[in-house]
Amino acid sequence: MDLLPSQEQLELAELAAEFFADQLPIGRIRERRAEPAAITRKTWAAAAELGLLGVSAPEDAGGLGLGLDDEVLLFREMGRQLVPGPFIASVLAARLAALAGDVSLAAAIVAGDAIVGLAQRRSGPELATGGPLTGRFDLFDAVESDYLLVVESSGTGLVDTAAVGDIEPVDCIDPGTRMAVAAADGAPVVCWAPAGVEPLRLRGLALASAVLVGISQAVTDLSVEHAKNRVQFGRPIGVNQAIKHACVDMAVAAEAALQQTLFGAISLRSGRVDAEFQVMAAKVVSGRAAIDNAAHCIQVHGGMGYTDEHNAHLYLKRAHVLDHLFGSGRDSLAAVLAAEPAG
Amino acid sequence: MDLDFTAEQAQFRAEVRTWLAEHAPTDPRPHSWNGGMREYDLAWQRTQWEGGWAGIAWPQEYGGRGLATLQQLIWYEEYAKAGLPAIDSTFVGLNHAGPTLIARASEEQKAFHLPRILRGEDIWCQGFSEPGAGSDLAALSTRAEVDGDHFVVTGQKIWTSFAMLADYQELLVRTDRGGSKHHGITWLICDMRTPGIEVRPIETIEGGAEFCECFYDEVRIPLSNIVGQRDGGWKVAMSTLSFERGTGYTASQVRLSGVVESLIELAKERTGPDGRRPAIADEEIAVRLATARAEVAALRAMTYAGICRNLRSDTPGPEGSMLKLYFAEIAKRVAALAMDILGPDSLRATSRWDRPFGWTGNYLYSFSTSIGGGTSEIQRNIIGDRVLGLPR
Repeated sequence: MDLLPSQEQLELAELAAEFFADQLPIGRIRERRAEPAAITRKTWAAAAELGLLGVSAPEDAGGLGLGLDDEVLLFREMGRQLVPGPFIASVLAARLAALAGDVSLAAAIVAGDAIVGLAQRRSGPELATGGPLTGRFDLFDAVESDYLLVVESSGTGLVDTAAVGDIEPVDCIDPGTRMAVAAADGAPVVCWAPAGVEPLRLRGLALASAVLVGISQAVTDLSVEHAKNRVQFGRPIGVNQAIKHACVDMAVAAEAALQQTLFGAISLRSGRVDAEFQVMAAKVVSGRAAIDNAAHCIQVHGGMGYTDEHNAHLYLKRAHVLDHLFGSGRDSLAAVLAAEPAG
Repeated sequence: MDLDFTAEQAQFRAEVRTWLAEHAPTDPRPHSWNGGMREYDLAWQRTQWEGGWAGIAWPQEYGGRGLATLQQLIWYEEYAKAGLPAIDSTFVGLNHAGPTLIARASEEQKAFHLPRILRGEDIWCQGFSEPGAGSDLAALSTRAEVDGDHFVVTGQKIWTSFAMLADYQELLVRTDRGGSKHHGITWLICDMRTPGIEVRPIETIEGGAEFCECFYDEVRIPLSNIVGQRDGGWKVAMSTLSFERGTGYTASQVRLSGVVESLIELAKERTGPDGRRPAIADEEIAVRLATARAEVAALRAMTYAGICRNLRSDTPGPEGSMLKLYFAEIAKRVAALAMDILGPDSLRATSRWDRPFGWTGNYLYSFSTSIGGGTSEIQRNIIGDRVLGLPR
């Protein structure tokens, strides 16, 4: 048993973190607020070039063939730096395409040539056996996408974005996420994997949890730095227990979220019988840690925390988006209670 | 990264399980300290020693098994699954005093005391807190003056669990009043049968009286009972507290996950607040149960990660305070949730030693988890100062 990331794993995440800091500083979210897509094709291609879309994809599709734990450590960095773009949908889709036997599509996704957004169902019958897609959907970062990933409890499917109609952009609470509503009426499913064959939904939840962990850690760091530097009444505000203890509670929540998310990812990778429970538990603790910590971060920063100029609200808003992917926070709680006890 | 146990570790787990099934005590543990608790706890400890299960992670030369904390974890997991009584009056010997002696004591001290702890011959208690030195432990003022080859100790300790049952005490005394308050503290082995010691039990909100105040009136303790350096006892005490916060609570953390599972069962059996459906069908109770289950999973993940860190470095760092803090908060929420699930039955007094589990006794006991071993507020100060580097 070893729950500590290896040196190689940390190096990969570090490499990605440097890329994000250089290419996608958080301020870019504000600059691109009015642009159709939150991330440029050029940056997307650069991320693909670095291998960020293929960490867990098979090697014959141009991926690195690494484990979900490696990918979780990468996505935590995305949370820390609020990286925009349809990364989760795209890495899941690459895996789906490879599983469905379409290696060239998987390779195109890994190479950044085909972009995949996420379609989350609002109404209509669930995909049962990979049949055509019908219903109303919320789309996430589907601008300029070639495909849409649909994750249902029965399985996961991929459809052509062009086969889905009535796409209407809507304003998202998060300026770093592009949302739209869309309707599908019998759109053909080009790739399909039943949940029993490959738990892509759980992988998606693990990656969403990883982003939430990164958010919960980043806002803790912001709060701690502010508590050290902001002087009031002649002393740094961090000497006051009301502030100090709030920072500590944030750090503990973030640590719990990190450890459970890694535990869940390794459980899923190694096929533990309680993997579903462990991943759902990770989603519950990381969702709460990210939203609560971001809220505390705003409070610790006082008036500054309430401004658009400060990043605290960007973290809060992204946390809410992530908490809703592949089911709401309430859905995750219900799943945790319904699951078999931990093994 | 992996969660796999080696074939050897799996074999160890199977052996533990089989042995516990065959040797665990079947008669209930006495509820009160003067009702045979000492004999029960020591007999069970002796049985474990005879079976070769005492001191799994202790050095072999003092009677331990010399295995890693991972095997100790496996033992705790199986012990909790078997529904056995929590480690109680033997806790200080096994998880505070023992590890401190291993780290800091002389060869003679180790050779005498460690096997006695493992064989179930002695109960230890902890003489740290005083009426004027609680969270501010270093303010302790119990005095020790040298007289020949003895200290003469006069003063008072408080919140000393099981002092009335104990053979020995880890006793912190003030041996120098000059300089900083962290200097001049000495860690002594105190034989509780020494003349001049008076022990008075204190009744707790839980109803039992397992913790005590201890009065010392010119108690003579040999200088040879110093552990570590004279006047350097603060450092020795801190190593105990790090152990306590690092791996000392592993058993309780593991146990808590079983408590949450029992609570889920209770919520299925009990009628809920609407008087018709089971409690688990109540939205608010279901959310709290699910949250507890997820948090206990995270507590376990943190415990495992802590053990992995422990395997790479010997001394637990201040991160252990995070575990203790998280554990205490969850334990209290879980205990309070049981009261809401029980409804009107939450007014009936039970003991946490009852079989089936006494939820109301556990509720009252749970308040101690965020006070004993350093309050949650003190843990937050430690984490804030030493982990996050916040200004003092």
